[in-house]
Amino acid sequence: MWILEPSPMIHASNKTQNLRAQGHLTHALRSWFFERGYLEVYTPIMVTSPALEEHLEAIYVSDYDSWLHTSPEFGMKKLLGEGLCRIYQITPCFRKEEIGIHHRTEFRMLEWYRAGASWWDLAHETIDLIQTMAQSAHQPSFNFDWISTQELLPSNLTPDEWFFRWVDEIEPNLPKACIVYDYPEWQAALARRRHNVAERFEVYINGVELANAFDEESSSAEIHRRWIKSNQVRMAMGKRPYPIDEQFLKANQRMPRCSGIAMGIDRLFMLLTNQDSIHDLFV
Amino acid sequence: MKYQTSDFRNGLKVEIDNQPYVMVYFQFVKPGKGTAFTRTKLKNMITGNVLERTYRTGETLDAAPVEDRNMMYMYDEDEFAVFMDNESFETVNIPLASMQEERPFLTENLEVDVLFYNDRPVNIALPNFIEDDIAYCEPAVKGNTATNATKPATLTCGATVQVPLFIEQGERIRVDTRTKSYDSRVK
Repeated sequence: MWILEPSPMIHASNKTQNLRAQGHLTHALRSWFFERGYLEVYTPIMVTSPALEEHLEAIYVSDYDSWLHTSPEFGMKKLLGEGLCRIYQITPCFRKEEIGIHHRTEFRMLEWYRAGASWWDLAHETIDLIQTMAQSAHQPSFNFDWISTQELLPSNLTPDEWFFRWVDEIEPNLPKACIVYDYPEWQAALARRRHNVAERFEVYINGVELANAFDEESSSAEIHRRWIKSNQVRMAMGKRPYPIDEQFLKANQRMPRCSGIAMGIDRLFMLLTNQDSIHDLFV
Repeated sequence: MKYQTSDFRNGLKVEIDNQPYVMVYFQFVKPGKGTAFTRTKLKNMITGNVLERTYRTGETLDAAPVEDRNMMYMYDEDEFAVFMDNESFETVNIPLASMQEERPFLTENLEVDVLFYNDRPVNIALPNFIEDDIAYCEPAVKGNTATNATKPATLTCGATVQVPLFIEQGERIRVDTRTKSYDSRVK
């Protein structure tokens, strides 16, 4: 079935078989981006600021007064500000206090950005990628449903109540594969806001959150305001605020109108290789 | 004593609304833009009912004041089963109604874990395997050594389990109490 790493099968454990499958899936992933004219990029993992969101916990590297990135978003937007229009990256990311069958402190993120695309364009592209990957893994394709969060939960809930009900009653009962869109505007993070909704979507398969996408907010003044507000929330929770990355804010202003998406590929590989836990992907 | 969500694990014994529960499932969940939660399934240690609860990080659960004591099954008396502590010779009565699942597998002198909640005996946990004689089953089919074809057999203790066709009445067998199924012959 697999052509790479043709070591004698007699030594192949389930783990090494899974590593082979992952290697082939990564290859299929890169081919898919290559065929669509995406450039693979690299941005530093050790950064001056790790995040803007109040609920992401980053790892601080004290020897260098730096952080390990929680996603390559700031780095990639600096490249968009330099004029690149179609870029992708597969990189390890780090998030503290996240451990479980679908969480690992160090995990692999696939992130890509496309200038001129709306979140809607990107959602269709993402479905195409997932179907291609399913085919590469010899799995049946998925039927995606499209669901607005406003059909699921009233918009006047407090953030705490919204997330509680999301986790408690909504997420476990989502269709097998779906694109969830139109989030409450207080969940915008780095996405544009329009008519009281955040222009972003998430991809769910088997009730597992697989990817998160934004129609990217390009006003640096707006991002700066959200950053300060998020840092105030962090400080109120007794947490350390995250440094404001001025270089990123400058690049963000020059960035073309674009959409971007971050996908947890450990989770994708877990689903496509029929594992129950992302920890099964590692030896 | 209180448990934090980071202490959650299978087998944790907790008290909710004055009932003891054992955690049978837990999952860390964190929506992309939100705070962390833990989804759990909790089994009532008296009734066996399963409760699904979601906890926010920072919420706590009380440890259940429960204790397991190894005791021996003696006999039934009216609506109760009587167990004796092997060391203190103290006896306790547990309502048969609360152990309908377990009662058929209570063989004479069987050692079980009796669950005490607030020092009151409320339930029992059977050992994973018991041995007992077959009180009745259809005659063996000679030469049939297949294990997928079965027939019902009633044990001396009262339980009925499916056994392979070659098993004879009067034979002693080992039964897995978790699956309530035949495990092997005892020579």
